[in-house]
Amino acid sequence: MIYGITHTTTYEYSDPVSLSHHLLRLQPRELAGQQCLEHDIAIQPRPGVTRSHADYFGNQMIFVTVEGAHRQLVATSRSRVRVEAIAPPEPEDTPAWEAVRELCRRETPGEDLEARDFVYDSPLIKEQPEFGAYAAASFTPGVPLLTAVLDLTNRIHKDFKFDPKATTIATPLEQVMKSRRGVCQDFAQLEIAFLRAMGIPARYVSGYLETDPPPGKTRLAGADASHAWVSFFCPGAGWIDVDPTNNLLPSNRHITVAWGRDYSDVSPIRGVILGSGEHTLKVAVDVIPLPEGKFGLL
Amino acid sequence: MFAGYSALPEIYDEMAAMPGALRPHWSKFVALLERLGREEVTLRWENARRIIREHGVTYNVYGDPQGMDRPWELDLVPLLIPPAEWAQIEAGLAQRARLFNLILADLYGPQRLVRQGDLPAALVYANPNFLRPCHGVPVPEDIYLHLHAADVARSSDGQKWVISDRTQAPSGAGYALENRIVLSRILPDEFRDCQVQRLASFFRIQRDTLLGLAPNNRHNPSVVLLTPGPYNETYFEHDYLARYLGFTLVEGGDLTVRDRKVFIKTLEGLRPVDVILRRVDDSFCDPLELRGDSFLGVAGLLEAVRAGNVTIANALGSGVIESPAFLAFLPGLCRRLLGEELKLPSVATWWCGQPKEREYVIEHLDEIVVKHAFGSRAHEPYFGAKMGEKERAKLVAAIRARPHEFVGQEKVALSTAPVWQNNKLEPRPLVLRTYVTATRDSFAVMPGGLTRVSTSVLDPIVSMQSGGGSKDTWVLSDGPVNAVSLLSASGQPIRSGRSSAELPSRVADNLFWLGRYTERLEDTLRLLRCVVVRMTDESGADGAPELNALAQVLVRLDLLPERFKERFSLKELEHEILLLIYKQDRVGSARQILGRVRGLASIVRDRFSADTWSILNKLNIDARSRPRRIPLADALGLLNAVIVDLSAFSGMEMENMTRGLGWRFLDFGRRLERATHLVKLFRASLCHEAKIGSVLEPVLEILDSLMTYRRRYFAGVQLPSVLELLLLDEGNPRSLAFQFKALKEHAANLPGEADTAGETDEERRIAALFALLRDADIGALTQMAGAGTNESLNSLLADFVVELGMLSNQLTHRYFTHTVASVS
Repeated sequence: MIYGITHTTTYEYSDPVSLSHHLLRLQPRELAGQQCLEHDIAIQPRPGVTRSHADYFGNQMIFVTVEGAHRQLVATSRSRVRVEAIAPPEPEDTPAWEAVRELCRRETPGEDLEARDFVYDSPLIKEQPEFGAYAAASFTPGVPLLTAVLDLTNRIHKDFKFDPKATTIATPLEQVMKSRRGVCQDFAQLEIAFLRAMGIPARYVSGYLETDPPPGKTRLAGADASHAWVSFFCPGAGWIDVDPTNNLLPSNRHITVAWGRDYSDVSPIRGVILGSGEHTLKVAVDVIPLPEGKFGLL
Repeated sequence: MFAGYSALPEIYDEMAAMPGALRPHWSKFVALLERLGREEVTLRWENARRIIREHGVTYNVYGDPQGMDRPWELDLVPLLIPPAEWAQIEAGLAQRARLFNLILADLYGPQRLVRQGDLPAALVYANPNFLRPCHGVPVPEDIYLHLHAADVARSSDGQKWVISDRTQAPSGAGYALENRIVLSRILPDEFRDCQVQRLASFFRIQRDTLLGLAPNNRHNPSVVLLTPGPYNETYFEHDYLARYLGFTLVEGGDLTVRDRKVFIKTLEGLRPVDVILRRVDDSFCDPLELRGDSFLGVAGLLEAVRAGNVTIANALGSGVIESPAFLAFLPGLCRRLLGEELKLPSVATWWCGQPKEREYVIEHLDEIVVKHAFGSRAHEPYFGAKMGEKERAKLVAAIRARPHEFVGQEKVALSTAPVWQNNKLEPRPLVLRTYVTATRDSFAVMPGGLTRVSTSVLDPIVSMQSGGGSKDTWVLSDGPVNAVSLLSASGQPIRSGRSSAELPSRVADNLFWLGRYTERLEDTLRLLRCVVVRMTDESGADGAPELNALAQVLVRLDLLPERFKERFSLKELEHEILLLIYKQDRVGSARQILGRVRGLASIVRDRFSADTWSILNKLNIDARSRPRRIPLADALGLLNAVIVDLSAFSGMEMENMTRGLGWRFLDFGRRLERATHLVKLFRASLCHEAKIGSVLEPVLEILDSLMTYRRRYFAGVQLPSVLELLLLDEGNPRSLAFQFKALKEHAANLPGEADTAGETDEERRIAALFALLRDADIGALTQMAGAGTNESLNSLLADFVVELGMLSNQLTHRYFTHTVASVS
């Protein structure tokens, strides 16, 4: 599938801002099964400084500085991405979860070196006894890793209710665990916490998901949102994605932008402004399937 | 003196080899001390304490209301280290710094040590001080560690061990220097005769290294010392080192990143910064890429480093290697990276992330200390021997659940050294903090260090936070010591002129308010003295009309409660006045204003000479008992003394401060405050009082113009003459006209954009005030309206109050507005 993606972020400031610095992570990654055909970010007002780097996790990160009084900042990211479904391994072909845990506990890493960043506590995900207790029901002795993860994902989907009003970016994980409500970001971080509690490396993936309009209705512009899911390390197979919000293994409707230990490593836009007033934030995302062979930016 | 010294059994004593036997390198010093005699030593010691108070050497203790500005504790007896022993320590420390630097270069680069199994992965990836955004960011000359500190202890067998390292932003080098300055002053002959190695060259090397690492402006680099601010425990040292090294002291809010370069915000605009010596922990240095909740850093700083436009010492991310867990792996790392054995061993450390080591720690809980593996200072160490069964079980469970987060460490029975206490020498456990600075291609060790001693012989915890003391450290030399001067190779004084040339807006703001508050303090003291004098006077006993009138003035100035409008006893008034002098939380009390003065003074002390500072530092209105019990005569004595001290300060300000912008803002504040005070005092006294005769003389007295008045006007005190002298006379430094004239001159010399007529807004406002005053008709102003009020005077003064308030706001808005950074 080829998707055209537009992601517009608008900051409005109550008082003029004299200087702002932002970090943007909005460029879809290059992966087996994902190709970023075109990508462009437009920022208004025009930044004095724009620098692109790969961050520690290999995500493209752009540093921008806007100088001179401004009351609004708009960042529009446009991408065209080809996504192909890659079949996941058969669950019973994956190693027993304990073997993976032991591999990732050895002092000197081997093929799991890259996974070692994702087994320990991170800024937003700190181990709690209740995480291990919840996960244990899926991680019975000798169960293949993918089987255990599918069961865990299914339980999260069943036990937790999608509720955009229940949480904010700042809601701690323990709170989500207690209220059993949240959004994709909460569920992703929760599943990561469960997996890490069992000793399985797991990372946070941010990106987009193609959604269907409600039956009988046409797609509304800007109605989509950023999405978040989980990727866990499975020796032999590499990293396998899993989406607890929708209880599925992503195939060709998920577009990966960035990954890290948790949300704090991959927030799409993060900024520091010099100014004394309040600000409001609006985000509009469109993910539109395009016919093959059509070129040019949207 | 030495005869009475009894070291502890089975503990290594630095001075006594065995009871009654000195170690050879102490013999000369002890002989010199014996020659001085007990009395003289005590005198010298008191002298040292006085110098420390005068220099304002302080150490702040967190969470202690009295903890701010606690005087520094320095012992009279230095720790002596013989040349041969020092040579070993020195070689060990230089090797250690070189090793640590190489480890950092690997962790923030190729990470071969993890790949090859020299370092367990968890030490890096589970370590909260490993800052991923700093990975791959180049640092000039591959120097990560510009200053390394190591705490060295000696066990009972005489072996020296490093018990911990500081690689983040090591503290204490400034205190070590101050200790040396004080001790060499009170024991000058002893210092010379013992052939003590000097510290100055170490600081010169440090300074030259930092200057040499400036990526731009290599001919005249600008170095700043970044402090978290006056509430930090070692703020004294930040200010002290900044002045000593000739660097500008800044807080995060003073800096800004533009075009991937760092600038300091000064009153005259942005000035480039090339090198930052930081005392802010690395994760707090950039709210954009590191901790978003930090208010101590500079947004975009890491990007400026990445662009190669600024050098930060120590490099961002260097805190990772402070973790105690690394100690367990240093011998292997040393062999791998340097091909050498570790010369100075670390205290035995077992990292619980390894199964065998973990079991050893759990089995030997009684003998060892358990610490957090990543050295978070939020975690206190656990002493297994002191824990109950339940606590121990809990600790063991925690270790088993998260083994990689714990280490066990051998307890070192610290050696002791003599301290001068209770007029004799007593043994105290000690730890020596040593310092290593990077040079272009190697590392140089400070010949000395900060020796810290615990408060009691039984207490093994040595920390300034828990109330310990400190010693100077004398590294002895075999031959004569060359006195290294504080002049650099080029012959320039170490104190560069730069820091006085650049005035950060925040500093200007603080100076302005310091000017206002010192003036407000003087005004308040004079007002209170005027009352107290009349109460202690014999005539006061029968309720002089002046006293009653003054009480009404104080009510109108909101200093006394409304009930004093009615009848009140002398005792009630006395009680209130004492509170207005001594009570810290009483609004408008002298003690409260002094608190503001002290707070502001401590923030800007790098702007004052040592003499000026010692005057400010001496100001004191502390009650020895409950204010109610203080005799009025004592209160009067205190008011007189503080007024004299304050005039010494204003004298220093007039005679010793360079007429730069700093002085202008200080004096602007003083003039504005004096004008405001006069206007308010006039409104509260001259506009309401039917029997105006009873306040005229007190008003002249409060405004320090009584002598002038008497000399000039031979007649009794009359309102028109008072107004002439205090409003219009430009030659009277206490008059309103004099303040306006001074304000006008200051405004004309402040940086700012003038309009087409060549005037700034402030200049226009002051000119208008001046015109209003000059046009005033004394005759009309003295016309009393009905009911004992003077409406025309009152309305003129009311205009002044409003205008002066607006002038203050305008100045704040133009020069000091600190735009606030917020993270989204």
